[in-house]
Amino acid sequence: MDSMMEDMWGQTSLSAITLILYAAAEGFSISHLRTNKDSHGKTTSWLLLVGFLIHWFALYAGARAAHAVPYHDLPASMSFFSWVVIGSYGILLLKHREGSTGPFLIPIALLFLLISLFTQGGVQVLVKNPKLSGPLFAFHVTMALVGYAALTLSFVLAQLYLIQNAQLRRRKLGLLFSRLPALDVLSQLHRTSVTIGVSALSVAAVLGLIWAKINWGTYWDPKVLFTFLIIVVYLFTLFPRWIGWGGKKIAILSMTGFLFVLFSYTIVNLFISRGHTFR
Amino acid sequence: MESPLVLVGWDYRQTPVELREQLAFSAEKLRAAMSALKQEGILSECVILSTCNRSEVYGVAGGGLGDRDPILAVLEFVARFHGVPQGEIEPVGYRFSGTDAVRHLLRVTSGLESLALGEDQIIGQVREAFRVASSAGATRAVLHRLFQKALETGKRVRSETGLSSRPISIPGVAIELAQKIFEDLAPRKFLILGAGETSSIFYDLLLAKGARNIEVANRTFAKAEALCRRGGKAIPWEDLPARLPQADVVISAISVSTPFLSLDMARKAMTQRRGEPLFFLDLGIPRNVEPKVSDLENAFLYAVDDLQEIAERNRQERQAEIEPAMAILDEEIDKFFTWFESLAVVPTITSLRQKFETIRETEFDQRLSQLTQISESDREKIRLMAQSMVRSLLRTPIDAIKEEPDPGRRLDRAEVARHLFDLDVRGE
Repeated sequence: MDSMMEDMWGQTSLSAITLILYAAAEGFSISHLRTNKDSHGKTTSWLLLVGFLIHWFALYAGARAAHAVPYHDLPASMSFFSWVVIGSYGILLLKHREGSTGPFLIPIALLFLLISLFTQGGVQVLVKNPKLSGPLFAFHVTMALVGYAALTLSFVLAQLYLIQNAQLRRRKLGLLFSRLPALDVLSQLHRTSVTIGVSALSVAAVLGLIWAKINWGTYWDPKVLFTFLIIVVYLFTLFPRWIGWGGKKIAILSMTGFLFVLFSYTIVNLFISRGHTFR
Repeated sequence: MESPLVLVGWDYRQTPVELREQLAFSAEKLRAAMSALKQEGILSECVILSTCNRSEVYGVAGGGLGDRDPILAVLEFVARFHGVPQGEIEPVGYRFSGTDAVRHLLRVTSGLESLALGEDQIIGQVREAFRVASSAGATRAVLHRLFQKALETGKRVRSETGLSSRPISIPGVAIELAQKIFEDLAPRKFLILGAGETSSIFYDLLLAKGARNIEVANRTFAKAEALCRRGGKAIPWEDLPARLPQADVVISAISVSTPFLSLDMARKAMTQRRGEPLFFLDLGIPRNVEPKVSDLENAFLYAVDDLQEIAERNRQERQAEIEPAMAILDEEIDKFFTWFESLAVVPTITSLRQKFETIRETEFDQRLSQLTQISESDREKIRLMAQSMVRSLLRTPIDAIKEEPDPGRRLDRAEVARHLFDLDVRGE
């Protein structure tokens, strides 16, 4: 019991440190966007890297305390989600050297971590549920959260597409015009993140269905319907020629899809779904 | 004491172009001049920067000057070297020494002295001048450090201020816009309408950007063919409606009285492109493209007036960046002089002595404390012996630095001493 208390305390303090590091990284990333100083860009990356590692330790401490995957309740899953969002930004930085998304993406991770930190509500001694500890369940939740994180990234990219598009159309070429990538780059990055998001979500859905059949004896859960809806909306953004859309309309469609994601992650989980209430 | 760092130069602001042409240094002349300046003992190090807008000689005063002013000696040399009367070039040039010379070089490299404020070409020209001088053995510690500092500063100013970030020419603005729609222009399809001077400028620019897919349509087919001799494909004017949906960027520069690229034609093209963006660059006066085309989704239309307005705004933005750029320059000048002053004979010798004295004291205290058997008077003798050894060891290197008559070589030796003995070099 003592070691569990220690782990919980460790998790809270590590999460708080992570929060501070992410907040500092956000400050530097805004400054980098404004001033284009290399040193600010590098500081952002280092703060995020250190924050990301400490965040991992926080999740690990939480998992030890709960004897479960680090997303056994909604606050913990939000913390894990925030970690994956930062991870996806790291991939964007490493692979595409694309730092201009930082000021828009980091706040989302920050917000979720903040909510997670303030809703933890002390130690919850979970009655260990064997149904929630198998690899099938762990994969299902992990893939779902990875999917949500990728779709969050696509939401930010769609937003940036709209900003850049509006600047070009209105001939208002401000600071963001110079700093944001070209429309085709934003579009391509958006496609990649939606592809990852939809794939991960589809895998999560299939695993979830199998799990539900084994444990509940039925495939049915309202969550299935919402996930299916999300996948369909995003498929249209991946294959815009099906509907003859492009550019701005696809960006708006993608942002609408993200509203469904938020709805599914919060309202559906807590009030509608049978097995996603974290209770 | 006068600073040994000097600069003598002529630029587009004060020197008429005919005279600038006479003062230009070709590749061979450059090497000959640097070698002669060194041989005559005027400069111990030098770099000559010669572009179409300026000719500048940077150097460190040499040992063969005697009482002569190094600046006047360089001036006299340049006049003699190019065969122009000294009286003619003296009043139209500028001469700086010390901090002013360093500031000028940093201003030049940063594009603050350029005809087009903040232009990028100059940094490459300074790099090349430095490379040529280094490979000819004309630079040593001081100019090596100075030019590296200048290149670093030029880079810093460009990345940390908006002095060079936005283009100020119409083709520059047009290319920037195109690159914000399609980042890599090389694989994109371009359709140039018209084969006149403007089309030709853009055709060259696109080739320089690596564009592989250029089509040119003109009412006189032969002119389109003539423009395409270096690549691209001439297409008949009648094919325009069919080719339009295939293009990613349309550049139109045709002399017409009313727009020939109608809203209807553009709409059909956009429908066929199914959401793919199309960039219309209307460079014709009067306009070639119906203005309402800009209302079509995913169609981006910019006319000459738009480009001019952006270029002018960018020019004003660059002006506003001079102050922040100067702040960076001041910082870098300080850093350079902290290093440069540490090379002066007195601080080098003082640091050298301090270093040896510290070693002597540490070693002496450590070893002597282990010897418990010796008397106080013997202890004192050993102390004196150690002091005398340090003095003897340092005499030759200190004399070699202090008594070197050539100021450039003196700085070189100080720099070597600082490196060899790891003396504290501040500011870097």
